Amino acid sequence: MRFGFSYSLIFFFISSANAEVSAENLAQNCQICHNRFADQAQIASLYQLTATQIRQMLLDFKYDKTNATLMPRLAKAITDTEIDALAEYIANQTNEND
Amino acid sequence: MKTISRRRFLQITGTAIGLTACQTINLNSAKKAKVVVIGGGFAGVSVARSIRCLDNAISVSLIEPKLNYITCPGSNWLFAGITDLNKLTQNYHALQTEYGVNLLSEQVVKVDPVSQQLSLANGLTLDYDRLIMAAGISFDWDSIPGYSAQSAEIFPHAWQAGPQTLLLQKQMQALSDGGSILIYSPAEPYRCPPGPYERASMMACWLKRFKPKSKILILDAKRSFSKQKLFEAGWKEHFGYASQNSLIEWHSIADNPVLELDSKTKTLRTDFGDKFKADVLNIIPPQKAARILLETGLTDATGWCPVDPKTCQSVFQEKIHVIGDAANYAPLPKSAFAAISEAKVCAKAVVSLINQQPVAEPIWFNTCYSLLTAEHGISVAGVYKLNAEQKIELVAGSGGVSRLNDTNAAKQEAAYAKTIYNSLVFDSFGQRNSLFNG
Repeated sequence: MRFGFSYSLIFFFISSANAEVSAENLAQNCQICHNRFADQAQIASLYQLTATQIRQMLLDFKYDKTNATLMPRLAKAITDTEIDALAEYIANQTNEND
Repeated sequence: MKTISRRRFLQITGTAIGLTACQTINLNSAKKAKVVVIGGGFAGVSVARSIRCLDNAISVSLIEPKLNYITCPGSNWLFAGITDLNKLTQNYHALQTEYGVNLLSEQVVKVDPVSQQLSLANGLTLDYDRLIMAAGISFDWDSIPGYSAQSAEIFPHAWQAGPQTLLLQKQMQALSDGGSILIYSPAEPYRCPPGPYERASMMACWLKRFKPKSKILILDAKRSFSKQKLFEAGWKEHFGYASQNSLIEWHSIADNPVLELDSKTKTLRTDFGDKFKADVLNIIPPQKAARILLETGLTDATGWCPVDPKTCQSVFQEKIHVIGDAANYAPLPKSAFAAISEAKVCAKAVVSLINQQPVAEPIWFNTCYSLLTAEHGISVAGVYKLNAEQKIELVAGSGGVSRLNDTNAAKQEAAYAKTIYNSLVFDSFGQRNSLFNG
């Protein structure tokens, strides 16, 4: 009981220290590597992926469900709520233009 | 009047993500506000391009005296023969033709924050509503007596890519087998924290093949360095590090600082009287913000520019924003990736301020790859947000470096290093190039 309380308190401080950011502000960082002319033989293209696919890839990186070099270190910074919004945002952007 | 449809624009530029405001780029009608950007490196071109995409009623002028930009990222790869300067050379063509940025190939002589005007070397003056300074670094020549801009022509720093890089490469190639190279690595903060160690690795690749009896000594003003365990493990694997015949030696002189350079004897003398002599001296001097930032009064006692990270505004001048290596965004490192990330935060803040909208909550990413050989890459990454005190901090649990002793990952990351270089250049300069050999 006591531990549970401490954990939730810690969690409260962590989550309140860093405000959530918009999907657009996150996506502009993704774009630095994953832009349209990125070498798609090597890094995942974000185009033509559905929101569900993007969300699952990000969650797999975040929770170490897949073997990868760099993305797990980045995905761990993104909250699950941000991942949901980011996946929707990217999928909408690309679908609109393909 | 030239307009480009959104669809065409996205086909050309590949900037589908994150640019919802990029409906059409109207190249001629930009009257809402005047933004001037000083400096055509990664930060400067990214902020110019992003602002034009977010709100094409804002006019953006970019002032950069050089006609081309040779990127520092990738420039160490020259020493191993992985690339050449042509492949690292970017231009401003797409920025002008696709994004309607006005390019002024001029030197800025003076910035007057009171009249919001700047003077150019050709005698013209330019008004601004918002000024974004992305002018990069200058060298603190005074910190090493005997070293100067003149002696850098003999003992190159090669910390701004171009003729200096070629000079150092030429000196390396002219070494006799059994010759020595000394790399002096400064205290932090400086541009590209892992750069000196990647350089030693790339030089060692070449020496191993052509002058295997030679040695590289890294003389370090720090006690430890970026990605140290990964570099040292890789040096052991490839260059016999820590053995008698190691191609690379690393020596910290944190408690025994360099006092002077004796040019005649090619010797660095330290506080305790130690003398370090080599055939080739690559002195990377301590750094500070570029001249124009110092002269405009935007730096503090550290020599760098303090900013409000959320808006990128100088703490001294509210109409001036500072991004890239010149500014202090610590703990973000002074890397090209971080500079682009800062530029995107800055572009949004500037557009919001001009349109009298609230400034969004920022987030910054950093990713930085280094090569130890053409097939061995390592990386550091991090994501940064503002904390409750509005200071930048690494998001807890994120970031860090590559796994140690993972051969497959090292090979993959070497390929990523080259791929990501191309992506970075495309995302900032808007150009698609093939930028490495083989």
